[in-house]
Amino acid sequence: MALFEATHLHKRFGDQVVLEDISLAFEEGQVSGIMGPNGAGKTTCFNVLTGRYKPDRGRVTFDGEDITGVAPHRIVAKGISRSFQIMTLFDEFTALDNVVMALPSTRRRGFDGLHALDGDSAAQDRAAEIMGRVGLKGREGVNAKSLSYGERRALEIGVALATEPRLLFVDEPTAGLGTEATARLTDLMRELKRYTTIVVIEHDMRFLFALADKISVIHWGQVIAQGTPDELRANRWVRRSNIGELANA
Amino acid sequence: MLYDLIPHIINGLALGLLFALLALGFMLIIGVMEVINLAHGSLFALGAYVALAVMVPDGGLPYAFMEPYYALPDVPRYVIALIVGPLVVAVVGAGLELCLRRTYGQDPLYGLLLTFGAALVLEEGIREIWGSSEYYLPIPRGISGGFIAGDLIYSTYRIYAAIFAAAMIGLLWLFLNRTPYGAIIKAGAHDGEMVRALGHNLSRLRLFVFAFGAALAAIAGIIMAPIWGIRPVVGVDAVVPAFVVIVLGGVGSFWGAVSAGLLVGLVVGLTAAFATDWSLLSMYLLLLAVVTFRSRGLAGKASVLES
Amino acid sequence: MTLPAMQYDRRETTAWITRPILVMAVVFATLPLWIETVGLYQYLGVEVLIWIVFALGFNLLLGYTGLPSFGHGAFFGIGAYAFGLAQFEVWANLWFCLAAAIVVTGAFGAVTALFLAHRRGIYFALMSIAFGQIFYFIASKWTDVTKGEDGLLNIARLPADFGVAEVSIQSNTALYYFCYAVMMVLIVLLWRLTNSPFGRTLRAIKQNETRVAFIGYPVRLYKWAAFTLSCGIAGLAGGLFAMAQEGAYINIMSLQWSGTIVLIVLIGGGFVSFWGPVLGVILYFVARDILGAYTEAWLLWFGLMFVVLVMFKPDGIAGMWRGWVAPRLRGRGATTPAPRPAESRS
Repeated sequence: MALFEATHLHKRFGDQVVLEDISLAFEEGQVSGIMGPNGAGKTTCFNVLTGRYKPDRGRVTFDGEDITGVAPHRIVAKGISRSFQIMTLFDEFTALDNVVMALPSTRRRGFDGLHALDGDSAAQDRAAEIMGRVGLKGREGVNAKSLSYGERRALEIGVALATEPRLLFVDEPTAGLGTEATARLTDLMRELKRYTTIVVIEHDMRFLFALADKISVIHWGQVIAQGTPDELRANRWVRRSNIGELANA
Repeated sequence: MLYDLIPHIINGLALGLLFALLALGFMLIIGVMEVINLAHGSLFALGAYVALAVMVPDGGLPYAFMEPYYALPDVPRYVIALIVGPLVVAVVGAGLELCLRRTYGQDPLYGLLLTFGAALVLEEGIREIWGSSEYYLPIPRGISGGFIAGDLIYSTYRIYAAIFAAAMIGLLWLFLNRTPYGAIIKAGAHDGEMVRALGHNLSRLRLFVFAFGAALAAIAGIIMAPIWGIRPVVGVDAVVPAFVVIVLGGVGSFWGAVSAGLLVGLVVGLTAAFATDWSLLSMYLLLLAVVTFRSRGLAGKASVLES
Repeated sequence: MTLPAMQYDRRETTAWITRPILVMAVVFATLPLWIETVGLYQYLGVEVLIWIVFALGFNLLLGYTGLPSFGHGAFFGIGAYAFGLAQFEVWANLWFCLAAAIVVTGAFGAVTALFLAHRRGIYFALMSIAFGQIFYFIASKWTDVTKGEDGLLNIARLPADFGVAEVSIQSNTALYYFCYAVMMVLIVLLWRLTNSPFGRTLRAIKQNETRVAFIGYPVRLYKWAAFTLSCGIAGLAGGLFAMAQEGAYINIMSLQWSGTIVLIVLIGGGFVSFWGPVLGVILYFVARDILGAYTEAWLLWFGLMFVVLVMFKPDGIAGMWRGWVAPRLRGRGATTPAPRPAESRS
C-alpha cells in the first residue's frame, strides 16, 4: 500500500468544479510529481491533500489512516508538511527562528509561558543543521524579510522540513528562480529524497522530469495521465498537448 | 395581537429603510476603497447636528447674525437643512478620504484604526460645539404628530421617514444603474485598475465616493434624528446596524442591503414593542448571530472583509 | 500587508530582569517623591499604574497576537464589578477579591473568545465591538447587580494581609505602592511570557496565521488562550481600579473607553515594543492633565494626534525612539555594541 492515498476527490467552489474524481497515490521513499497547466486545479488539489480545504467527496489516507478533513495542525503532527507557493515566512523573525518555530521540540513546549525560547540551544543547533541542509549556512541571524528571493525559497523548504515530516509537499519550488538556483534546488531535492518522501507540484517540466520517480498530470480537474517520466514522454496525450512539448524541450 | 403590532412593523420598516440607506453609503466606501469606515456613524451624527444648527436658533450658529433667517417658516428651513447637512458632511468625508490615502495598500487594520480615530475626533468635536446634552430635531408641522386609522395610532413622521428613505434608495439605484457616473463607481468597486484603464482618475473617484457615502450617512442621520434624538454618541448606535446590514446582505449586493436593512429594522422595531430598553441590544445580538453563522451573509460571496 | 515588527536582542529575551525593567522599577518607586514637585498629584500615579497593567495585558492581544479588540473596556469593567461584588457578597479579603476579579473576568473572556478565536482582522474587531456593547448594555440594564448608572459605591481599599502582618492601603500613597508591586510582578511575568515559546507563537500568529497552523500549532487554541489571559489581566486592573475609585462605574465599559485603550497602546508603540503600552499610558495621562488644564477638548487633540500617528508613524513613540533616538545614543556613547548578526535574535 502506498504511504499516501487520495481516492475519488471532488471539490467545487460555488458552481465551479475544480477537482473531479481525482485519485492519487504516493509511494514511500519516492519523489512524486504533480503537473499540469495553470488553472488545472493543481494548487487546489494540493490544498485538499494537505488539509487546507476539505474535499466535498472522496477520502485521503496517510499510512492507512483516514485524514480526510482533519485540521492542518493535526495533519502536521501525523508527519505531513508542506511549503507554500506564495511565501509565508515569519518576516520579523530571523531565518533561524523561522526554523526553530517549526521544530517539533518547540511545538511541544508551545504552551510554556515562562522559559525563554532563545535559551533553547538544542533547538537552535538543530535548526542551524536544517539551515545548513537547505544551503543557508551563515544566514541564520538575518531577518527573513532581508533574505534574497532564492534564499527565501530555500528557507520555505527548511521550515517545512523542520517539522520532521515523513511526507513533504512542495508547492512550485522553482517559481521565480533562475537557471542556476533551479539547478541548486534540484540537487537539494535529490538530497532530501534520501530521508523523506516528497510530492512536488511544478510546471517547470525539466525540473520535474529530472527529479520525479512518478508524475501525475492534472488537467481540467482530472488526472489525465500518470507514470514514470519515460512513460509520460511516450504518452500520446502528453505528447499532443503543449505539456509534452515542454517536457521534451 | 398581531393587529396591535402593525404600528411597530411600520416603525420597523421605516427604521430598516434608513439603515439600508446608511448601509448603502457604507458599502460604496467598502467597495471602492476596501475600508471599513468606523467613522460612518459619526458622519451620521454630524449630519443631524448640522441640520439642527440650520433648523433652530440655539443649534450652534451665531444667532444675531442669522436672525432674519430664523424668521423663515419651518418648511424652507427644513429643506435647507436637508441640503446643507449632507453637503457639509460630504466635505468632512472628503477630508477623511484624503487622510486615508496614506493607508491604502497597507494592512486593512490601519484603515480601521484611522477611521476609529476620526470617529473619536468627530465625536469630541461635536461635544465641543454642541455639548453633551440631548437634542431633538424639530420637524415641520405637516409631518409631525400622529393619526388614527382603525383603532390604532400611527406616527406621521415614521411614515414620512419610510417614504423619504425609500425614495432616496430608489434615486440611488437609478444613479448607480442609469448614469455613466454610476457605471464608473461600479467599475471601481469591481476593480480599481479597470477604472484607470477606462481613462478615469481613480483618486478623484475615491474622493467622490467617500464624500457621496458620507452625504448618504448625513441624510440618514437627519431623517433619523427626530426618532432617535441627537447625542454625540448616537454614531455608535448607527454604525453597528450599517455593518449588520452589510454582512447580512452581502458586500456588493444593492438589494441584499435593502432587504437586510428591512430585516434588521423589523427586528429592532419589534424588540422595541416588547422591551424598549433592549431594542439596541437586539441589534448587537443580531450582529453576533449573523457573523457567527453566516459570515458571508445571505448572498454568500467572499469579500474584502475577510482579509 | 504586514504590521510593524518587534526586535530584541537575545541577551534581553533570556533574562528575567532587563535594563528597561530596572528603569521602570526605579522611576515608579520614586514617583511619589517627585510627582508633586512637577505639579501633578499622587492619585494620578495610581491611575497610571493601573492603566499600565491594563494596557500591557491588552497589548498581548494587539501588539503580540495582532488581534484588534475594540471591546476590552468591558472586561476592565467586569473586573471592577467582580471585585466589588466579591467584597460585598462573599468575603472582604484583598487577595480573594483580586483573585475573583481575575477569574471572573477571565471566565467572561474565555466564553467570548470561543466566538472570536477563529476570526481575524476586521471581523475580529467588529465582533469584539459587539461583545463589548452587549456587556455594556447588560451592565447598564441589570441594575439589581450593577446599580446601573449610579455605579457600585463604597468599594473599600481592603488591607493587604500577609499572614504575619496586615498592611493598610487606605491612603493614596499606600495604594500606589501596592499597585506598584502588582505591576512590577506582572511586568516580569509578561516579559518572560512574551519571550517564551508561547509568546513567540503568538507573534508568529500575528505575522502569518496560516503558516503557524501548517507547522503544527493549534492556532485557535493559542488565540483563545491569549484572549482569555488578556481578559484576566484586564480583570486584575479593573479590581485595582475599583479600589482606586472606591466604586465600580458603568462608563468604563463603554465603547469609548475600549477605543481609548487601543489608542493608548498604539500611540505608545505597542506594535513594535513591549514598552509601547507604558509609554502610551504615561503620555495619555500627562496629556489629560496638562492639555486638560488648558482646554476641555483635550480628547479632541489626542484623537487628532492618533489620526496623524496612524498616517505617518504607526509604530508610535517606541518606533520613534528606535528609529531616531536609540541609534544616536549608540553612535555617541557606543555603550551598547551593535550585536553581530549571527548573535542577534529577534
